[in-house]
Amino acid sequence: MRVSVILRYVGSVMLCVSAFMMVSAVISYINNIDSGFYPLLLSSLLTLTLGAFPMLFVPRATSISNKEGFSIVVGSWVLASVVGMFPYLIWGGEFTLINAWFESVSGFTATGATILNDIEQLPQGLLFYRTSTNWIGGVGVVMFSLVILPSLGTSKMSLSNVELSSLAKDNYRYRTQVIVRILLVVYVGLTAVTTLALKAAGLRWFDALNHAMSACATAGFSTKNASIAFYDNVVVELILSMAMLIASIHFGLIYATFLRKSNNIFRSEVVRTYITIVIISTIFVATSLYGADIFPTVWESLRHSFFQVVSLITSTGYATADTNMWTPFAIVILIFISIVCACAGSTSGGIKIDRVLIFCKILWARIRRQQHPNAVIRIRVDGVAQDSDLLNSVVVFIVAYLALIFMATFTNTLFGQDIMTAFTSSVACLGNVGPGFGEVGSMGNYAEIPAILKLQDSLLMLMGRLEIFGFIQLFFLKWWR
Amino acid sequence: MKSLGSRVTIGFLSIVLLLFASGIISLFELGNLSNDTEIILSASRRNLELAKEMLKYAHDHSQATLNVACFDDNAQRDICRRTMSDLEGKLAAARSEAVDIEGLDSLSISVTRLRELSESYLFAPQAIPTDTLVITSEAAALSGRRWYNEQYKVVYNDMVGRIEEFMTHTHSSLAPRAEQLNKNAYRSVAPVLISLVVMIAIVLMFYFFIRVYCVIPIVKINRALSDFLSYRLPFNVKADLRDELKELVDNIEKLIGISKINNR
Repeated sequence: MRVSVILRYVGSVMLCVSAFMMVSAVISYINNIDSGFYPLLLSSLLTLTLGAFPMLFVPRATSISNKEGFSIVVGSWVLASVVGMFPYLIWGGEFTLINAWFESVSGFTATGATILNDIEQLPQGLLFYRTSTNWIGGVGVVMFSLVILPSLGTSKMSLSNVELSSLAKDNYRYRTQVIVRILLVVYVGLTAVTTLALKAAGLRWFDALNHAMSACATAGFSTKNASIAFYDNVVVELILSMAMLIASIHFGLIYATFLRKSNNIFRSEVVRTYITIVIISTIFVATSLYGADIFPTVWESLRHSFFQVVSLITSTGYATADTNMWTPFAIVILIFISIVCACAGSTSGGIKIDRVLIFCKILWARIRRQQHPNAVIRIRVDGVAQDSDLLNSVVVFIVAYLALIFMATFTNTLFGQDIMTAFTSSVACLGNVGPGFGEVGSMGNYAEIPAILKLQDSLLMLMGRLEIFGFIQLFFLKWWR
Repeated sequence: MKSLGSRVTIGFLSIVLLLFASGIISLFELGNLSNDTEIILSASRRNLELAKEMLKYAHDHSQATLNVACFDDNAQRDICRRTMSDLEGKLAAARSEAVDIEGLDSLSISVTRLRELSESYLFAPQAIPTDTLVITSEAAALSGRRWYNEQYKVVYNDMVGRIEEFMTHTHSSLAPRAEQLNKNAYRSVAPVLISLVVMIAIVLMFYFFIRVYCVIPIVKINRALSDFLSYRLPFNVKADLRDELKELVDNIEKLIGISKINNR
């Protein structure tokens, strides 16, 4: 494994992060050189030097092995989170070392969990930087590095092997460089349209851009302490819901739909299942809320339940209401969708609908095989028969995912957290959702949890974003052949 | 960029420039810290000075009023006027100079009340404000001693209390300011600390790259050359060669070729 090549490619990701820090510094400068200017400027210079340094010495690699590809992706995410702490640390305020690390990891993994009690006291430049970490994390820092890499061919494919889950790759029928272009066109286009729509709905340009960036990354950082509840505006909620829903569908499918290809959203079994779950969950939650008199009208119940269901299933984490006050039935549904989340190949986290759908089909096939022991039963998604390796990996992933949640819950309770906070914070961090229930509810934050649990939650966020095994591989590189 | 030398120079310069930038930002933040500290200290000092002078004039005014009201010492009337005028002058100075003007409004009302009360008693024939007719008539009815104890002293004590409040206000507002100072101090130190960590990382990378792209190739070239000279093994360098080192290997190969031709 060539460490210098890994450093070079991770360096290109650092350059992207540095560019966003510089843009944030410019915003601080325009905003009368607010207190975020020098922290952002210095952080940008430091990150630029760190990123550019390997490029001085290391030549372009013509090919990259899978092992190097994995190291580049994991290294990029971890190092982006490390350099991402710099502006927070230099600025100070509520950002201690652990808090800055938590906020940075939460940003780059597009989780959206925060340790800030008062978000609005942050200067505008720093607020924009915070949201931009969401945006970078949403599309994947490695995708950025793929775009700026001048070389083509095998090296790119090795990187995208890690970045896209195997299920997501299966749906792509394009070359890697086209995948990158698709991702960027969909991502930037969706962000631009959402920004304009939010502006039209009455938000300031700054707030519109920040919320659009965060929604399209399905991350959930807001510029307001009360999140989306601050606006109390149905149109804003609808626009954000649509943005979150679109961003949580496979980007290749969105692109194909725009190009009117046959393999589009409307024909996708996964998307149909996803939308069905959203609709059913919304109706169940709304019925429960209206029945318990939490909201006075059916319309209000539907409005809040739809937004919260979309926010959690897409792993965004925006809030329009304090979900801690909702009925246990509604809370259970919201926890369930926080575990499942949305489609593979999107910016969302969690287990993903694709896996859950295949898992259900495996269960159904098992039942049928017991009835007909000699039958040959193929499991198909969108009419395509899935091979046994993929089926096994789905089951293993789901088991590992749930095992991690229970292990994290165990540790959380060991440090004195109540069971609701312990369980839902594990679900929210591993699924890159952000808010859970209890202390870390939709109107709460992670400020009060012990430092060691913040570190654990950061680790969960990284593992969730790197689909668990991508992260674990890092520790077994030596044995990787 | 072909030259190895220029790569090393740029690497070195980037470290120096970054350290310089972090130093400048730290210096700027230290400047802010120093200014804030200076502002807090001077505000506190000035408030104390002004309050002390106001207390002195208030005391002189009280003394003079006592002499006029109780001992009918008319010579003190001028002192009354002058000290009141001085007191009001200091109040105006406090309003224009003090950084923290909280509490000055209530102090100003107290001073005005004291002035009106003393003028209504001491200089009643000259100027009786229409809205203080009742007070004036009551004051006139009282003996000087009673007036001083029951009316003047009450207003005077209130005013002295306000001056003391103004004096101590700066101190009571020190806690949040000290917190701000602490924040500023952190901001002036943090850039240097973080730059130091980044510099260590860059120096380690520098060492690594110099080793991989300079030292190891040179060692391998030397070994290959030694093997050729000692044992006549073919000159073959297996290393990642770039820039001048690649040229060096090419030149050595040319030299070996020339020497082989000459030996024939």
